[in-house]
Amino acid sequence: MTWIVPGGEPFLLPGGDTGCLVLHGFTASPQEVRQLGEHLAARGHTVLGPRLCAHAVSPKDMLRSRWTDWLASALDGYHLLRGACNRVVALGMSLGGVLAFHLAASREVAGVVAMSTPFAAPRDPRLRLLRLVSPLVRFVPKGPPDWRDPSAGAGRVAYRVYPVPALAEVEKAILAMRGRLRRVACPVFLMHSLEDVFVPPENMEAIFAALPEGDKQMLPIRHSNHVITLDSSRRQVFDAAAEFVARVTR
Amino acid sequence: MTLLMPGAEPFYFPGGRTGCLLIHGFTGTPREMLFLGRHLAGEGHTVLGVRLFAHATRQEDMLRARWRDWLASSEDGYHLLADACDRVVVIGLSMGGILALLLAAQIPVAGVVSLSTPYDNPDPRMRLRPVAPLLTLFWRFGRKGPPDWHDPSVAADHLEYPLAPVRGAVELHDILAELRLRLAEVTCPALIVHSHGDLSVAPWHAEAIAARIGSADKRVVWVTDSGHVVTRDAERERVFAEVAAFVRRVGAAAA
Repeated sequence: MTWIVPGGEPFLLPGGDTGCLVLHGFTASPQEVRQLGEHLAARGHTVLGPRLCAHAVSPKDMLRSRWTDWLASALDGYHLLRGACNRVVALGMSLGGVLAFHLAASREVAGVVAMSTPFAAPRDPRLRLLRLVSPLVRFVPKGPPDWRDPSAGAGRVAYRVYPVPALAEVEKAILAMRGRLRRVACPVFLMHSLEDVFVPPENMEAIFAALPEGDKQMLPIRHSNHVITLDSSRRQVFDAAAEFVARVTR
Repeated sequence: MTLLMPGAEPFYFPGGRTGCLLIHGFTGTPREMLFLGRHLAGEGHTVLGVRLFAHATRQEDMLRARWRDWLASSEDGYHLLADACDRVVVIGLSMGGILALLLAAQIPVAGVVSLSTPYDNPDPRMRLRPVAPLLTLFWRFGRKGPPDWHDPSVAADHLEYPLAPVRGAVELHDILAELRLRLAEVTCPALIVHSHGDLSVAPWHAEAIAARIGSADKRVVWVTDSGHVVTRDAERERVFAEVAAFVRRVGAAAA
């Protein structure tokens, strides 16, 4: 018996001098970015996909989480990678993108790839209501899946519910990120699905606008839901990410 | 931003096909395993030192920690190392030794090393365990025992929380119960290291672990010129050499 849900384990793919830190999103697991990691490892990079604290165990464990626990998990991954690599590119999916920006503001990174990353907390009025009743309602079920590629959900390791107190922590992480975007000095690459109904694509433009002038790019993705690392346009996402990593570490 | 204590970050040294997973102790940091880690990396092994949840950040984080978080942190390290190596030896200090033994009971590892590891919690205050969830709401931190360094120069750059979080002590109590339940399920080669000069975990704990562990291949190594933190104290070089010899032997046997 182990504690981490099978399939949701963190991973380390040894390779060259460039390290890719791949960060999964809220209530998901390293499984969400494993294919992306394998794609980058096939290009010769060292890849590490940490498990953010309280993910891929039990949703109950997340009731105790603070967003800084998740950032600490990302920092752990960064420091482990630095033991094997000269430079690190931080890639993150959704909340993982938020953490990648936090990392870039406090550690030396060669670049940031932020995928489906929020600039504002999801505007669901239910969430405000939930805050009021959170001492009573601890979990709220997720909506139905909206994969373009129905096979993309196979093998997914993610909680089926949102732990309500953790939703407020996600919001704190986003607000703290906003204050730090100005200090992101490395090249940044943003990808977002135009069909993302969970975190609308306007978030990408808002992040882009908040970043300082410099090496920054946006790539809108089609035929995908929020999870662009798994849905039908994933190949395009992997190739674009690998191209960016190659460019900023050349 | 200093979310992690500078100098106390987790570490990874790539190397050969044998991986050494290093797990620090309760309220400690990866730094107490760093010097052993460097020694093992020098022997050609791949080494990974995990940071346990709520450690090396702020001691208030410990109030939210449960022992299954620490086991999950250890398991993270195992999975990362297992990806990079053919076999893994798990090595833990104090509570890290408990976690190493619990991992060894669940996961096929090449060997396990427990250093200064307790077997039981003889604190009579633990009779209050049933009311601990209430009690720890207002009784949050306790004092630690007196330092027992034999090499006081090490204390200067040792990093750990200054206080003992009471809720954490309760979790330590609970994980020890789990250890006693699982110890017979540990069957891999085992090395148990303990100092006669350990003032926080008395030497009889090492004997109790050796007596109840399921392993046929087991050995207790005693040191004398050291306090609880045998990985850093005066006799550390001897501890490093004993652990390295064990890793070399079980690594070769598992190859």
